[in-house]
Amino acid sequence: MSDFKHLTEALGNLDEEEVLRILKDFVASNPSQEEAQKAVEACQDGMNIVGEKFETGEYFVGDLIFAGELLNQAIEILKPVIGSASEKKIGTIVLGTVHGDLHDIGKNIFRNMAEAAGFQVYDLGIDQPVEAFVEKVKEVHPDIVGLSGVLTLALEAMKETIDGLKEAGLRDEVKVIIGGNPVNQEVCEHVGADAWTTNAAEGVKICQGWVK
Amino acid sequence: MNDVKALQEERISIYHDVYDNKVPKRVPVGISLPFEFVAQYGGLNLAQAQWNPSIVEETADKLCQKVYSDTCVFSGSLRFPSFYELMKSQSFVMASNGFIQHPEVVGMMPEDYDYLIEKPYDCILERVLPRQYKALDAADPINSAISLTKSVLAYNNDFMESGMIVGKLTEKYGYYPGNLFSGGFSEAPFDFIADQLRGFKGISMDIRRIPDKLKEACEAVYPIVFKKGLPAQISNYGQVFLPLHMPTFMREKDFENLYWPTFKRMLDEYASMGIHCSIFCEDDWTRYLDYLYDLPTDTVLMFEYGDPKIIKGKLGKKHIITGLYPIVNLKTKSEKECVDEVKRYIDILAPQGKYIFGFDKQPLLLNDINLENLCAVAETVRDYAVYTNPGDTAGIEFKKEEYKVEPSRKLESKYYKTWDQYKALNPNVSEFGKDKLSNLEDAVFQYLVYLLM
Repeated sequence: MSDFKHLTEALGNLDEEEVLRILKDFVASNPSQEEAQKAVEACQDGMNIVGEKFETGEYFVGDLIFAGELLNQAIEILKPVIGSASEKKIGTIVLGTVHGDLHDIGKNIFRNMAEAAGFQVYDLGIDQPVEAFVEKVKEVHPDIVGLSGVLTLALEAMKETIDGLKEAGLRDEVKVIIGGNPVNQEVCEHVGADAWTTNAAEGVKICQGWVK
Repeated sequence: MNDVKALQEERISIYHDVYDNKVPKRVPVGISLPFEFVAQYGGLNLAQAQWNPSIVEETADKLCQKVYSDTCVFSGSLRFPSFYELMKSQSFVMASNGFIQHPEVVGMMPEDYDYLIEKPYDCILERVLPRQYKALDAADPINSAISLTKSVLAYNNDFMESGMIVGKLTEKYGYYPGNLFSGGFSEAPFDFIADQLRGFKGISMDIRRIPDKLKEACEAVYPIVFKKGLPAQISNYGQVFLPLHMPTFMREKDFENLYWPTFKRMLDEYASMGIHCSIFCEDDWTRYLDYLYDLPTDTVLMFEYGDPKIIKGKLGKKHIITGLYPIVNLKTKSEKECVDEVKRYIDILAPQGKYIFGFDKQPLLLNDINLENLCAVAETVRDYAVYTNPGDTAGIEFKKEEYKVEPSRKLESKYYKTWDQYKALNPNVSEFGKDKLSNLEDAVFQYLVYLLM
């Protein structure tokens, strides 16, 4: 298909109608698994454009949510033709909202963008106890642990979670990034994380830097 | 006059000066700690204490002695588990730490827009509330009615219990008798649809997929949120509190088209009646400061993030500014750093009045801050933020005659009866019952809409 560039652009522009039209035509053309993989990559490139537009202030959080949904729709359409050829993952992230906090909008945006960037993400969900993170890290040995929280009460919970990883002897195995409304550099140092962000696109870039 | 009364008079005068466009004697210190924080300070189990609001009285009293503020240090709570639990709420639930919060849940589907636009209050009661409150089950009407009745009783009881504590402490320590929630509470029309009806994800889809319907829906819910916020008494010294949520997550063109028109009209309509508003600008509103300037004079703007210099420069002559001082500093910085920093904020925000000291947000739990730092900051504001020109005119004066709005849609629903409608259905009712029955109608309206705010 010669339309891959067009697909990337349409996704970057969040032109839902156009993205769905291109993909439906593409699937109807009976593509090979290799071609289908290229379509997936074109969508991922589109997500990169979305991330860039977010960083330059053209898009905002609502647009990232829309982009995540659009990407999910795109992958659904492509599923029948992608086949079993699984793409190589660039790294693994264990992700969750820390205990005491029920918010997950930011976490879900980060997950969508990290997956689009090629990470394998294990999302534990909201209000997750320290042990849930410790157990998952023991099980899957991720490169990165992502801790999310919106309320100020999440900051102590982040600290407790990181302390929990230390006590289990796992802290040196992983990089830890914290994200959400109340985090900043001082908080990052206070809780003992390696990096912080209030911006999902930037967070994904930091993670990419860690697994290079 | 005893010391407490004298102190209360001073506090009343500094707050009233701010609201009357005068430079006060000193900057009012508006610090309030929520129920959950106070319960933990007293070593109480948070989940248990919230079922028994009176239990925090003693510990709230101790905090009033420890922390300086010109308004009551104990703010009460917006969320008690009793009335949510009885209604099987999915909108407000208790997390593992006992803190009640609002998770991302959906109360309205895209296909409900047409009905919401046609009959907003009917749609909310018939479709939205039963999705968010599972005790409302059309297949089990009697148990639904019983659950609702119990929930209303719990709602009245728990707010009365915590309100009584605030009242007692206000008299005991001579606080300014007026806190954030004393003058009415509501939401912007767009936020009302976003938060509990469509959810963050749903609204983000609707903005791009069906903006025209969303715009009409904001118009449709306008009479509901407008009525919800109306204070019982109109005063120059009370404000309707509106926490604003979605704007900074939107593109400006969507904000301008979908969010702003009905919100602006709401504040203009209140202003035309002499009603003021206090709005919480969640997140960083830097790119919307020109819009905020256009709001009615003397709107209390509580900021979370942003550059205090730019905010004061653009808005300080017209509006009353509060917030901005970062609550996380109280956790991550030393006492000296916190005190030095608050002086910097005061030097920028206090000149020429129209400023009340406040944090960018309340601390939620005891561990969120170092309490000693909070005390040091509060006392610094009290002693440092003193004016040399009290009584001077602060800036632009509010004149309610300047605000005119086109009449908006009225609240019309078979589930809300005006006195005339009630009388038509019950011709034998005594006129003596008018006030009581109208007040009951409004009390139920207030409760039902509160469930979605």
